[in-house]
Amino acid sequence: MKRLIGLTLALFLAPASVLCGGNAVAQGYPSKAIRFVVPYPPGGSVDIAARAVAQKLTEAWGQPVVVDNRAGAGGNIGADLVAKSPADGYTLLMGAVATHAINPTLYAKIPYDPVKDFTPVALVVQVPNILVVNPAIPAKSVKELIELARSNPGTLNFGSGSTGSTGHLAGELFNTMAGVKMVHIPYKGAAPAMADLLSGQVQLMFDNLANALPNVRAGRLRALAVTTLARSPAVPELPTIAESGLPGFDLTTWFGIMVPAGTPPGIVAGLNAEIVRALDTKDMRERLEKMGAVPPANNTPERFAAFIRVEAAKYAKVVKESGAKVE
Amino acid sequence: MGDLIHNLSIGFGVALSLQNLMYCFIGVLLGTLIGVLPGIGPLATIAMLLPVTFSLSPISALIMLAGIYYGAQYGGSTTSILVNLPGEASSVITCIDGYQMARQGRAGPALAIAALGSFFAGSVATVFIALFAPPLAEVALKFGPAEYFSLMILGLVGATVLAHGSLIKAIAMTLLGLLLGLIGTDVNSGVARFSFGLPELSDGIGFVIVAMGVFGFAEIITNLEQGESREVFVNKITGLMPSWKDLKSSSSAILRGTAIGSMLGILPGGGALLSSFAAYTLEKKIGDPSNFGKGEIRGVAAPESANNAGAQTSFIPLLTLGIPSNPVMALMIGAMMIQGIAPGPQVMTERPEMFWGMIASMWIGNLMLVILNLPLIGMWVKLLTVPYRLLYPSILLFICVGVYSLSNQPFDVMLAALFGLLGYVFVKLECEPAPLILGFILGPLMEENLRRAMLLSRGDATVFFTKPISGVLLGVAIALLLITLAPAVRNTREVAFQE
Repeated sequence: MKRLIGLTLALFLAPASVLCGGNAVAQGYPSKAIRFVVPYPPGGSVDIAARAVAQKLTEAWGQPVVVDNRAGAGGNIGADLVAKSPADGYTLLMGAVATHAINPTLYAKIPYDPVKDFTPVALVVQVPNILVVNPAIPAKSVKELIELARSNPGTLNFGSGSTGSTGHLAGELFNTMAGVKMVHIPYKGAAPAMADLLSGQVQLMFDNLANALPNVRAGRLRALAVTTLARSPAVPELPTIAESGLPGFDLTTWFGIMVPAGTPPGIVAGLNAEIVRALDTKDMRERLEKMGAVPPANNTPERFAAFIRVEAAKYAKVVKESGAKVE
Repeated sequence: MGDLIHNLSIGFGVALSLQNLMYCFIGVLLGTLIGVLPGIGPLATIAMLLPVTFSLSPISALIMLAGIYYGAQYGGSTTSILVNLPGEASSVITCIDGYQMARQGRAGPALAIAALGSFFAGSVATVFIALFAPPLAEVALKFGPAEYFSLMILGLVGATVLAHGSLIKAIAMTLLGLLLGLIGTDVNSGVARFSFGLPELSDGIGFVIVAMGVFGFAEIITNLEQGESREVFVNKITGLMPSWKDLKSSSSAILRGTAIGSMLGILPGGGALLSSFAAYTLEKKIGDPSNFGKGEIRGVAAPESANNAGAQTSFIPLLTLGIPSNPVMALMIGAMMIQGIAPGPQVMTERPEMFWGMIASMWIGNLMLVILNLPLIGMWVKLLTVPYRLLYPSILLFICVGVYSLSNQPFDVMLAALFGLLGYVFVKLECEPAPLILGFILGPLMEENLRRAMLLSRGDATVFFTKPISGVLLGVAIALLLITLAPAVRNTREVAFQE
């Protein structure tokens, strides 16, 4: 209900901002409620991070930052909504690896342009995926897994939360780089995929670190490696895939805040400063670290933009080589 | 046993603290309210309350959120019975006989039996969790794609007995439901099917949208058409509490419903939902089926007990494996992660006060609910005396708000209105909407699991029979089909011989 009121308030006040807008911005910003679009359903890691940031920004500005979940079409609906919103700094998007790096090449057509329609503000977190196997699988390391996949071609299955998720593309990247053929089994969400991994229906999964870790610690799953280039501070003893035989393997789930393209630079800079400050508070760092997240260093809009370009190019290659494209 | 008593005493110690009692009460009260409001479900409510839980202690937060969830199951039956409006997928079945009871002036007994059945089921299921949570989680893991597919087949075959009219119409409605369920992104290829290029359709149509349309909107149109005839079922009100006869005939139904709900609730992915359908089907098969669909109290008692038992046991995969069995549970995981608790197998051993505290709070919450709900029955029934010209616009408004709150899209509200028109056509054609809903929910799940099972077996279809659980389920489905069809076949043969 609170959200509805905030929303009506935002809609009601929207014309006012057009009237007194102009360029003299950063000053007096924000003067009204900010709508923070999360293109995923409530409760997921993106949503949790967004709500935590929203709370910090609300405290800092004394203006409500209202999280608005606009899930659907793999994040495309929410991203499209922000792409077509006024560029006044009062509509934010929690963009993600899916909406800005994977979907643009995965889907034949998407309703927005991930580069031209947005101005990146700040990266919020990067979360590694980890490669976990059902303990019934004899492989104790990435090398042994590759051996196993080579000697028994077409027998191993990897589960993922959806077609085009980082878990799916990590598997495809693994297949290409190691020259093996494991079969992708897509699910509707990571939870049912995890259930089938625990029961051994599928043998492995490249799952979100925070989701997989409890079952690893309980001995129900065996963790083989993290998917990022560097080891994760959450599990420093776990090697990377890159150092275990597939050099250069680097894949991370990330999300960050963006605004519609054309938003005045003063507002973007102001937003960036406030978000970076929020991310640097003690309780926020603790909260994110518990999700296995790595806080980004040197978090400027320019670096975030460059990061997105690199990511988009990387996934374009993976999608093309694996033939995962959706027509 | 000593362990259990020790654990439960820890649990009650936590749950009975003044603070936690208060959050439990807030949770069940909120849950009842949103359950009564059509369309606004626990999902939207819990999502809105997530930020509030930041500042609570983890156990208080979980107790409150859980209270909202099972409280909504109680409240959901109220609108099903009074105005034929299921707020939750699991209360679709309650509409069939519950609303008929209300029309006969027996809304009071229907509501009372729903509350009592839910309380009994909730209490039993809570004990069930306390005793068997870990082994039951292992049972849930035995269900792979092949087993799910066979379970769904069994559910669908059972659905044909839901119809109390023509069998052909029931099958047609089930098929229409299956077709509607096909809309949306194909899980395997990621291609959007039948979405007509509309991004809003790319994830399929939400259950609440269909249910609000074919039940809520359609019911209102039909009522308005009939003018003032509604007055009749208010004037006939005979008593608020069930008679001795009612209690006697529903007690065994409550027992059976509880057993089915407790078992199916542990299956992640549609288990809790199937339970109310399965309980109703069983009741109709056992004993005299003639009164079903015409206000049979067993038709309210069994599914209501089943869905509440299922709601409780669906916490098992969450608490023991960290696997959410439905979107509400996924939100609970979110709430736990906010608090820095990683939901998984260790929760039970590392944070026993939380695990057992929550279980104890569920029992307390169920008690609060029954105390809260029984006195409210008189008030709800009085609601029926409100003139319809005032009642129906408010119902419409609540439906619209509820549907909008699902994903903040006006498109959804328009879609619900469209389904309302479709529902009106169904009423005119005398087609029951319940089989449609079942087909709509089971269809996509069946397809998903069929294709997944085939992917895993590399295209070998015999897995459905060679896997023991799957084989047994399919066997039962075939037997049930033969029993249902046999009389029909015999009749046609007799007709043929006469000619």
